[in-house]
Amino acid sequence: MTSAKVSPQPGAAALERAMEKLVNTGAIDVPMLPEVAGKVVRLAQDADSDAAELAKLIQSDQILAGHVMRVANSALYTPNASLVSLQQAIARLGMKLISEIALGASINSSLFNAPGYDDHIQYVIRHSLLSGLWAKEIARACRRNVEAAFLTGLLHDIGRPVATQAIITKAKKLEIPIQKPVLFALENQFQRTIGVKVVEQWEMPSTVVEVVRYFDDYNAAGEAKNQTMIACAGSLFASHFMCRPGDEGCMTRGELIGQAVLGDLDLYQDEVEEILEKEDVVKSAMEALSA
Amino acid sequence: MNTPIAYDMLVIGSGPAGQKAAVEAARSGASVALIEKTRKLGGACVQRGTIPSKTLRENALRVRNMRMNAQLSNFKLAEDTELATLITRLNNVLNAHDEYMRKQLERTQVNLIHGRARFLSPQDVEVESVRGEKQTYSSGHILIATGSHPRKPPDIPVDHEHLFDSDSILSMMYLPKSLTVLGGGVIASEYASIFQALGVSVTMIDKYPHPLGFLDNDLTQTFLNDFTQMGGTWKGNTKVTRCYWNGMDAVITECDDGTEVRSEKLLCAAGRVANVKELEISNAGLQLNERGLIDVDDQLETQVRGIYAAGDVIGPPSLASASMEQGRRAACNSLEITSGVVHSVIPAGIYSIPELSSIGISETQAREKFGDVFVGVARFDEIARGQISGALNGMLKIVCDTDGKTILGIMIVGEGATELIHIGQMALINNSPVDIFVETVFNFPTLAEAYRAAALEIIHQRKINSSRS
Repeated sequence: MTSAKVSPQPGAAALERAMEKLVNTGAIDVPMLPEVAGKVVRLAQDADSDAAELAKLIQSDQILAGHVMRVANSALYTPNASLVSLQQAIARLGMKLISEIALGASINSSLFNAPGYDDHIQYVIRHSLLSGLWAKEIARACRRNVEAAFLTGLLHDIGRPVATQAIITKAKKLEIPIQKPVLFALENQFQRTIGVKVVEQWEMPSTVVEVVRYFDDYNAAGEAKNQTMIACAGSLFASHFMCRPGDEGCMTRGELIGQAVLGDLDLYQDEVEEILEKEDVVKSAMEALSA
Repeated sequence: MNTPIAYDMLVIGSGPAGQKAAVEAARSGASVALIEKTRKLGGACVQRGTIPSKTLRENALRVRNMRMNAQLSNFKLAEDTELATLITRLNNVLNAHDEYMRKQLERTQVNLIHGRARFLSPQDVEVESVRGEKQTYSSGHILIATGSHPRKPPDIPVDHEHLFDSDSILSMMYLPKSLTVLGGGVIASEYASIFQALGVSVTMIDKYPHPLGFLDNDLTQTFLNDFTQMGGTWKGNTKVTRCYWNGMDAVITECDDGTEVRSEKLLCAAGRVANVKELEISNAGLQLNERGLIDVDDQLETQVRGIYAAGDVIGPPSLASASMEQGRRAACNSLEITSGVVHSVIPAGIYSIPELSSIGISETQAREKFGDVFVGVARFDEIARGQISGALNGMLKIVCDTDGKTILGIMIVGEGATELIHIGQMALINNSPVDIFVETVFNFPTLAEAYRAAALEIIHQRKINSSRS
């Protein structure tokens, strides 16, 4: 992830002050979680709802319906048959998975408007999705909440694209030409506070809010400490697997295994190796979810 | 191998047994190292079992009481209640417990080692830190107190997401609408009744006709009446043939009678097995018995001289209270310290809703062993305090020998059972005749008066019997 310091670019200090003011006054524009996704997530948590109801809701959003059908027909979930009906797909994938797909699909680059930074946002979103999937496997190994692990992994960095968008908007307004290192430094500086605001506004469970709040200092997370550590570990796994040969700051497998957070989760090295053996499962899920 | 660091005693595991053993040994002047695999002290009892579930239970009781007193408060638990909100204060409780234990270990100069132990020989233990560093420790006195973990039947696909075990059940994010509980033992009964009290629709399935089969039927029936009155379902004499997450919206449990139970989540409570996987006990010349436990003699010594075991690794009663005493005694026996009078009768506490507790032998066991024993029963609905507090579904039973005087056992079901039992315990270990409960003046109104009512019943029977003879 980018971590450049604010360079002495003209106007950078003014932009920083403007962002500070924006964050302190809470005037950040939080993107609306698409209505259908919100409803799907709520419906999936309602034991009284049924597949037909969910199918009807998803059908109201063609993009989401198409996405669900693609995932349902992916090799991971449908090795032998081809699904044709949405209800059949929901029956196969399950309400919980549908909610994950809905949320995963909703948090995409179209949610953000940051011209020139599409690749960066795309990377953050892919990294978040992969973090969520790895966090699930880590949570399973630690006997911690698996559903929460996915959500917290997925949303831990949600402040980044929102911050990027806000910085671009503000720079435009102040007529400050912005350089990438400056934007990334400001994003790093403000994304955490902004992320908390986003998940609060999206009415995510309190655990998710606490994980986002304390992601950079899990020791301060109180009762959310374990979930925060799992999200951190998921994010490290995602970084490791998304790193391409030659990329700067890549972690080797050994370095990943030696990460402090894994030790703090009381995961011994052979236990981390066991989690890493889930690579194919996670990879398939990632391919399916981002199809 | 690195140079071993020698101690007078090595204790493996910081649960109730290990912790008490380490402190007892250190207080006698021995140099002691306590090896703990996890960062937190206390073992499963503190971190995953006893304390978290009892914390949840306290709130379940509050919820239940508020529902029962609908005329006082129109209470309804919110939809999608997060489980974390129902285990309030847990973190504070755990932190306080951890701090207290750490201070006690520091005070007694026990050396705490964070790492995973494995035997190299009967005297040498290698400890691998979570970062992979290794160090060997040696001692002629080693205590295995590594506890237990949930047994995972091969045909139950526990995924900790839809199908849980007792180590992961409290990691659920939301209170489910429905829960299937496999098993009829202590853990199954506790969680089933706690979740039912919270408004979850619970179905308990077990192969035996009654839950908690080691207790008398009238006690388990009282528990079951309460459980079913709360809305729970008991399916006894039922074998589970298949169990799976349907990939959509439910866990399906197929039973041998052809029925199918659907629930949002499932808890598999199929007993516990000893934590010895990483310990490599064979290097010390030890092996597990057919029940997957470590055998010990009455001194808590294993078949290998100098190696002792205590707590869940040696099997029932698998109570934290018993483990503490076993740990203390094992340390004393190992270091040849006088351990004081050892009372063989220990109370069993089941923190279900309602609570159950027993000490000594049951009526069934007493009749098998002695024949026509005397039994006195007091029902809480006949006791003033029971009527006042609404704790009507409860009973206290005293079992006396054929002389109608010697107490053999006491069993209680109903709120306060785990506290009330200690009155009986004192009488039992002091060999007091049952008459002591009549000769003693109890506060009025209290549930403890049930002792007096039950004892009076026995004394009355005794008088009738003696007038006949």
